[in-house]
Amino acid sequence: MVKEIEKAGFTVVQMANLIPVAKTVGANRMVPTISIPYPLGDPSTSKEEQWELRYHRVGVALDALTTEIEEQKVFDVEI
Amino acid sequence: MKKAVVYLNQFFGQIGGEDVADHAPEIREEKVGAAMLYDQLLDAEVTHTVICGDNFMGSNTEEAVEIILDFLKDVDFDIFFAGPAFQAGRYGMACGEIGKAVKEEFDVPVISSMNIENPGVEVFKKDIYIFPGGHSAAKMRDDVKKITDFGNKILNGEKLLPAEEEGYYKRGIRHQYFLEDETPAYERAIDMLLKKINGEEFESELPIPELDLVEIAPAIEDLSETTIALVTSGGIVPVDNPDKIQSASATRWGKYDISGMDRLENRDSNNFKTIHAGYDPAAADADPNVVVPVDAMRKYEEEGRIGKLHDYFYSTVGTGTTQKEAARMGKEIAQELQDANVQAVILTST
Amino acid sequence: MKLELGNFYVKDIEFGAKTAFDDGILTINKEEALEVVFKDNHITEADLRIVKPGDMVRLVPVKEAIEPRFRVGGGPVFPGVTGKLRQAGEGETRCLKDMSVLVVGKHWGGFQDGLIDMGGEGAKYTHFSSLKNVVLVADTDEEFEQREQQKKNHALRWAGMRLAEYLGEAVKDLEPEDTDTYELEPLTKRSKELDELPCVAIVMQPQSQMEEKGYNDLNYGWDTNRMLPTFMHPNEILDGAMISGSFMPCSSKWATYDFQNFPLIRRLYQEHGKTVNFVGVIMSNLNVALEQKERSAQFVAQMAKSLGVDAAIVTEEGYGNPDADYIGCLVALEDAGVKTVGVSNEATGRDGGSQPLVTLDPKADALVSTGNVSELIKLPPMDEVIGELEALARDGLSGGWEDDEILGSSVKEDGSIIMENNAMFCGDRIAGWSPKTMKEF
Repeated sequence: MVKEIEKAGFTVVQMANLIPVAKTVGANRMVPTISIPYPLGDPSTSKEEQWELRYHRVGVALDALTTEIEEQKVFDVEI
Repeated sequence: MKKAVVYLNQFFGQIGGEDVADHAPEIREEKVGAAMLYDQLLDAEVTHTVICGDNFMGSNTEEAVEIILDFLKDVDFDIFFAGPAFQAGRYGMACGEIGKAVKEEFDVPVISSMNIENPGVEVFKKDIYIFPGGHSAAKMRDDVKKITDFGNKILNGEKLLPAEEEGYYKRGIRHQYFLEDETPAYERAIDMLLKKINGEEFESELPIPELDLVEIAPAIEDLSETTIALVTSGGIVPVDNPDKIQSASATRWGKYDISGMDRLENRDSNNFKTIHAGYDPAAADADPNVVVPVDAMRKYEEEGRIGKLHDYFYSTVGTGTTQKEAARMGKEIAQELQDANVQAVILTST
Repeated sequence: MKLELGNFYVKDIEFGAKTAFDDGILTINKEEALEVVFKDNHITEADLRIVKPGDMVRLVPVKEAIEPRFRVGGGPVFPGVTGKLRQAGEGETRCLKDMSVLVVGKHWGGFQDGLIDMGGEGAKYTHFSSLKNVVLVADTDEEFEQREQQKKNHALRWAGMRLAEYLGEAVKDLEPEDTDTYELEPLTKRSKELDELPCVAIVMQPQSQMEEKGYNDLNYGWDTNRMLPTFMHPNEILDGAMISGSFMPCSSKWATYDFQNFPLIRRLYQEHGKTVNFVGVIMSNLNVALEQKERSAQFVAQMAKSLGVDAAIVTEEGYGNPDADYIGCLVALEDAGVKTVGVSNEATGRDGGSQPLVTLDPKADALVSTGNVSELIKLPPMDEVIGELEALARDGLSGGWEDDEILGSSVKEDGSIIMENNAMFCGDRIAGWSPKTMKEF
């Protein structure tokens, strides 16, 4: 799916936990998420912590959209 | 008796040579040129011959395909042959184009023959059966024999063997297969291991295909002028799942209006939930923003970091979905995004 | 560690006055056997049936398969599960061969349950159609999960193990027909001849992806979700240390019977001292988050390196995201200089056109494929169904469905079925029996 969207000319970033899967599928810009069932907010943490993590990682995804890349790239996250 | 249709170019359809290569498609209710050889060898009658100039097909592909499909819509046939195209590049591409279209439109077996050097092989081997053929028409009889033998097997409902045994170019279609000698996996594994240890040649049963990468889209220059859409394979939908997206092996997707929403409200408040069967739904049901981060995007929109969050998000389910369906849905969603003037996409997967 | 598995070849099974094994005939006192089953109050209904290869009988939903055994000197066949914890893999255990105990739900099936045809064209799809089977068909009061797609099947699976132990007692005082002896010298005390052979290990990735207890494979009763990769003696696996769980599409599963007989282990034993020096088993697991997957792969590679492993066979009980654990582990081993062979099934879709594993890596250059989970299988009606045929369509079995736009329901009115291989009971025989491979078509 990510490939079809990129093929159509859109700059796209895939946020996924299983980065090896995203790579194999052919995503070019990738940002890791924390798990499969809750990619952007661990329910065992507080609402504030979940929000901070989500706000940060979505921010990294936005950075990824504005970054020129030469090959498949996984963008680093801090929280 | 079963019925066959054969596609030939201007030369093998006996119209003429290079000078008539822009000959428009025609259909004849008879066996022309090479079609007679097919008729002799097939357990079916060749009822029609389609003839088209290679240049016409090459430069007016869409039109040519449309005309030919129109010819065929009232013809009753069980199998379709194109070529053999030998090493002729334009003819090979033409056989592939029309073969693929006929397969998709009428769902009948389509068989062609091309030399390995023919560019049509790489482009179309996944769409139709293509058998390796000779360099030139000197191999006509051999090549037609090969593909009609295989065609007869299909027509007679015989069991089809793997590509390497039948002889056609591999198509990337993998099915399970009971080994004739029933050699169990443990024997095959130990054998492969000992060979690998000893530096002998071995053959993996799953050769790793090369990564099929797409061209990297350029970076967005100014996000504050950009409309960004959220797309997910995590199955977030309105609680009543209006598009009836399947929980696994999905063939449907939906788009849901989020204009005016600061965040996705949850299942308990009767708004959004996940229908994905491949993961524990508790967290996503409690807060769908952990899968589709509408709340974070709104914040960035408010801060002016992004121009606009697109008014809809797009959703389907990734688990068990075949690549073919995923690609189709991806294309459809991409079309929507284009029509809506979206410039960038964040895709979240679970 | 030395294990002697004494073999009693079961030629026939019948019901009779006394549970006993005599001259290849296993006789079962049904009433007494059912008393063993009913020891758990949660079992509400139960019956025993006998099915043999060629019988035109369909079993569904099948939940578990177990080889009946007796531990000489007493003690549970499954330490830490059916009795106290003790060391498995040492001493003598007696086995009733060519048979199994199959556990079938009388009504309710689930995602992880499967189907067996004992005869007809469907028989080729499972190993268990080649065995004589005592079928426990039962129902329970576990109402909390009756309509859940994921079932723990606790009462039924444990009843099956009790029954297998009960039947195993029939050979308590008998001499086996023959004995398989499995022995490995301690790693640091091996002979010079052995040390010169390439050191080979088996890396197993049992199913352990459920965070909640009760679904995963157990290692001496310990939930494999809560373990890191560990080093085990192969004898432990052959002698009841591992039991099957109740999660994962069925064709990809290892039944407890598969662990007890694990053909890859037995076959590697045959090479020990001839072509290889069999180091042992690195018991890993399968995880849900990338970091967990990477952590396990790192542990496996470290252990292999520290043990001096030259080559390894890696095998996974599952498909889908577990492929990331599988390929990740193969790659970590190759990066550590260990030559690998992988054994698993593929998921290329009904049309065969999908990517075979969810992650791929060119370093995984020696793979054995045992089947396609989504292969469509159509089978005619059978004379008799044990269990409930409707479960295949109704209860969310991984290879069944209630309604498909094109194919309709998995269960047709005449009793014929259409399903994905996913629901064949341990159909891809990833433990090593599979006569199937994958080919290009």
